[in-house]
Amino acid sequence: MSRARSGAIAPQTVSNDDGADAASAVLRRHAEEQFAEELEALAKDDSRPRPPRWRLSPWAVTTYLLGGTLADGTPITPKYIGNRRLMEVAVATLATDRALLLLGVPGTAKSWVSEHIAAAIASDSTMLVQGTAGTSEEAIRYGWNYALLLAEGPSAKALVPSPMMRAMKEGKIARVEELTRIPADVQDTLITILSEKTLPIPELNGEVQAAKGFNLIATANNRDRGVNELSSALKRRFNTVVLPTPETAEEEVEIVRLRVESMGRALAIPSEPPGLEEIRRVVTVFRELRDGQTSDGKVKVKQPTGTMSTAEAISVVNQGLSLAAHFGDGVMRSADMASGLIGAVVKDPVQDRVVWLEYLETVVKERDGWKDLYRACREVV
Amino acid sequence: MPNVASTSAAAIHILGVRHHGPGSARSVRDALAAIEPSIVLIEGPPDADAMIPFVAHAEMTPPVALLVYRPETPRDSIYYPFAEFSPEWQAMTYALGRGISARFMDLPVAYQLGRDEGDGPPEVETDPTEPTPPRRPVDPLGMLAQAAGFDDGERWWEFVVEWRRDGADLFAEILEAMAEVRLAAPPQDDPRELLREAHMRQTIREARKEGHASIAVICGAWHAPALAETAWPPARDDSNLLKGLPKTKVAATWVPWTYGRLSRDSGYGAGIASPGWYDHLWTAPDHVVERWLTRVARLLREERLDASSASVIEAVRLADALATMRGRPLADLSDLDEAVRTVLCFGEETPMRLIRRKLVVGERLGRVPEETPSVPLQQDLQRLQKRLRLAPDPAQTTKVLDLREPTDLERSRLLHRLDLLGVAWGRVAHVSGKGTFKEAWQLQWVPELSVSLIEASLWGATVEDAATARAADRGGREEDLPELTALLDRAILADLPAAVSAIMARVESLAAVAADVTQLMDALPPLANLLRYGSVRKTDASLVGHAASGMVARVCVGLPLACGSLDDAAASAMFESIVRADSAIRIMDDASGLSSWHAALARLADSDTAHGLIAGRAARILLDSRELDEAEASRLMGLAVSTASEPTRAAAWVEGFLRGGGEVLYHDDALFGLFDSWLAGLPADAFPGLLPMLRRTFSTFEPPLRRNLGEKASRSSSAGSRSPLKTNSIVDIDAERAATVLPLVARLLGLGGGMES
Ligand SMILES: Nc1ncnc2c1ncn2[C@@H]1O[C@H](COP(=O)(O)OP(=O)(O)O)[C@@H](O)[C@H]1O
Ligand SMILES: [Mg+2]
Repeated sequence: MSRARSGAIAPQTVSNDDGADAASAVLRRHAEEQFAEELEALAKDDSRPRPPRWRLSPWAVTTYLLGGTLADGTPITPKYIGNRRLMEVAVATLATDRALLLLGVPGTAKSWVSEHIAAAIASDSTMLVQGTAGTSEEAIRYGWNYALLLAEGPSAKALVPSPMMRAMKEGKIARVEELTRIPADVQDTLITILSEKTLPIPELNGEVQAAKGFNLIATANNRDRGVNELSSALKRRFNTVVLPTPETAEEEVEIVRLRVESMGRALAIPSEPPGLEEIRRVVTVFRELRDGQTSDGKVKVKQPTGTMSTAEAISVVNQGLSLAAHFGDGVMRSADMASGLIGAVVKDPVQDRVVWLEYLETVVKERDGWKDLYRACREVV
Repeated sequence: MPNVASTSAAAIHILGVRHHGPGSARSVRDALAAIEPSIVLIEGPPDADAMIPFVAHAEMTPPVALLVYRPETPRDSIYYPFAEFSPEWQAMTYALGRGISARFMDLPVAYQLGRDEGDGPPEVETDPTEPTPPRRPVDPLGMLAQAAGFDDGERWWEFVVEWRRDGADLFAEILEAMAEVRLAAPPQDDPRELLREAHMRQTIREARKEGHASIAVICGAWHAPALAETAWPPARDDSNLLKGLPKTKVAATWVPWTYGRLSRDSGYGAGIASPGWYDHLWTAPDHVVERWLTRVARLLREERLDASSASVIEAVRLADALATMRGRPLADLSDLDEAVRTVLCFGEETPMRLIRRKLVVGERLGRVPEETPSVPLQQDLQRLQKRLRLAPDPAQTTKVLDLREPTDLERSRLLHRLDLLGVAWGRVAHVSGKGTFKEAWQLQWVPELSVSLIEASLWGATVEDAATARAADRGGREEDLPELTALLDRAILADLPAAVSAIMARVESLAAVAADVTQLMDALPPLANLLRYGSVRKTDASLVGHAASGMVARVCVGLPLACGSLDDAAASAMFESIVRADSAIRIMDDASGLSSWHAALARLADSDTAHGLIAGRAARILLDSRELDEAEASRLMGLAVSTASEPTRAAAWVEGFLRGGGEVLYHDDALFGLFDSWLAGLPADAFPGLLPMLRRTFSTFEPPLRRNLGEKASRSSSAGSRSPLKTNSIVDIDAERAATVLPLVARLLGLGGGMES
């Protein structure tokens, strides 16, 4: 009970070293495991200087994020699709020993990028603090094993380190998700860590000093206005990179396609890879509702309350695929996407329903070759 | 003299440069000091040779431009801008300092403007400052850059040329490299380019004939190989080419320029994107990156944004790290921009725009000495003043123009145009009553106006062209919709159709993304005025009509939501916007717009989430425009003032309904009764709190009306004949208690103490 209350315990990672079978049995593998081969190949190929304790040089980390082909022909899959310069700035930030804040609306790959950077730099993306309104100071610093504490008094043994503390000790990258959800006074804990690079433990009259290689990547949603604005003192300790929604429709289609394919493989969904046309339709619906106008700029459409992120587009296609696999003939059709689309659009049962119906009637119905989608959607509304 | 490509014993030194490149300028300066030529030949218009000595004048401050134009039709003109860091400028400065000759060698403008001359109608409006692009490889340097493994020709040039401070053999290398690029490029057959290079060569030959032993030639890098003596065709070929070219009379002068204009196309071809950054590269003695980021931080601090020295340090580190990752020995502007955005601006775009405008482009304005010949714009104004008999008078005078008179209309246009140009000769004293044809101006010509006029000359050679260019430029950068429509108003008054359509396009695009309904509403009145009085001005209003109805549509869609949760201050601003928008929409004469406006107001009037002030005003507007009948208005007031509603909201509703016009209350017994009984039924503790609001409302009525209302109040209470409350009678009236407040009501209405009932 005491452990649970301390809130500082990260789930113990099961080591998957002993075989691919164990690894593929988990639902979602950590990036450093899933892409272990790529990381290995990158490290072998990498002769450039590395900052202390980095597993790869900044160049190799960037290649890992953006994809490419190594000298020995090993292909590196792109993790982030978008502006190369943003990734360069993110990596260069960490290389200069500054903490990195990834800012953006939901579903712009902030957590995704954060995980992959940690995996590439430290081979470990698990030093993670999930930010919520209930995140306590202990979750960021350390907690206690109360049984031991009561029995023996404060001791190093009774101390339960947070992921942050472990990252500091081991010189790894700590990650804080949804920083702005964390109460302001708890956020302030980070200021000392970032400016002094130490974590004092007054109870033991000691401190943990960050080993070389320690750094912090935080993500925050810049739509959550006023949730817990970052104090300017904390803001100043980060370099801020804003991740945008995909610039072009083609880029977004590419993101969805790549992610769906790799997730399909991971989940072993026995369906055909989705046709590009279907993905393009889903992406078009998402972009039009997000932008408030049709892609030709001719018709204004109302915007739903949700964010219509790329991430949601990915799950709509994924869901469609598994529907097709389990209830259909394995080929994703418009009917398989309809319920997913509604789920993504209609977050507020009153307002968004109107938005969706209007969109169906004024845009989807009129568009050449979209009749099937229109009918499928009307059936489930 | 080892640094330089000398092509023969005759010592012709070809210095191929990048126009406006500070690195080139520095290398040219060093090279000239080493060569010590006896003459400097510069790619520039020979028609302006006589203007070169002004460069050394104490009052000459770049950026400035040479303006070469046809005196009869000054809009036929070409600008050659120079900054301090232009290699051509440095070459002129060097020559004047040494007392040696400096000459321009490009094809004279007299030939260029003389061509395609016909008696037909004047050509379709083309920007004369924009030379037709020569038919050469679009990006000759890009080819070299790619060969060197760079994806961006510009950046490659920066490294090879701009960043190169030793300059060893630099110009020889450029000559060689460009010779290869030209070999690889398709054959050069653009007649204008051939003429230009022939003329440059002829100028060099002439200088040699005059006995100059050491000749420095400063030209764009592309031309360098064509000017190297080894590549010269026989002199006869060149002179044949140039023989018999039609020639017109041209004049030349200097005009002030700005860094903003330097980024546009000119006689030197493409403009540069970052004059302020180049200025920095030119002036910073060392530590370019550190100094630049410090300037950024200081600018941010001036705007009261957080930017500590600690952050500057981090930005420097990030910029250096980015440059290293990108394989560059030094950070360039793109690295710096990203470092600034990431470290100093917390990822935000708004401060970046400020930095771009103030530092990267820069706001420097040049100055020319008084002795420079007058500019065409001045001459154009003098012509207009003579023709319109509108002499500049240093004393203040008033002139009333009758816009039905063609001459007066033209005068009005001229004054409005000058006003747009920042030449504030006249001020509209007041636009006399609506629908009249009179416009009164207060005129005074103060000496500073001559300076403003010279400054304005960078916008064009005639008042009309310059005003058009200036207004279109401002319109293109304006972010504020109401400001923009006000500008549109002025452009229409000035009768500048090209500017009007440019601004209109901007209005439409801003309106399309405007999230703020108040902004849209506040932008309507100028548009409505235009629609209404456009005919007086003989301007075409159909353009405006289209945009205006689009904006009305957007207002109507957004209004109910925008009135959702307003505090008192926001509600009162919204009140004003609604009142203004209402009168604008009414005079627009757009039936469908008006009916959606009324529909939007009806939703507000019926909404109980809208602020009382707004709901009340919505009801009132609908009543006044007969969209509501009295019964319906009574129903709404009944709802608003029923005991179920909060007293402050009820009072706000009443204020919204009545402010600025209480006649309805006097004429409509039902409304009066409702109001009266509401007041009477208010709980005693609520009343004092509402008093200021009520007083404010009633103080907007005319005194006679207040008196009449007071009388009505006392009459109805003494007769005991309060208007019957049929449908909405939820108030259980205690007549006796009600009567006790009447004296207070009377006082409230400003009726003094003599009204006791
Ligand atoms: N530009 C992109 N490149 C690659 N994947 C993307 C991109 N944008 C979104 N995604 C995908 O969206 C999903 C959700 O992203 P996530 O990191 O959870 O979003 P956030 O943390 O910004 O809310 C991830 O699976 C990611 O692969
Ligand atoms: Mg996230």
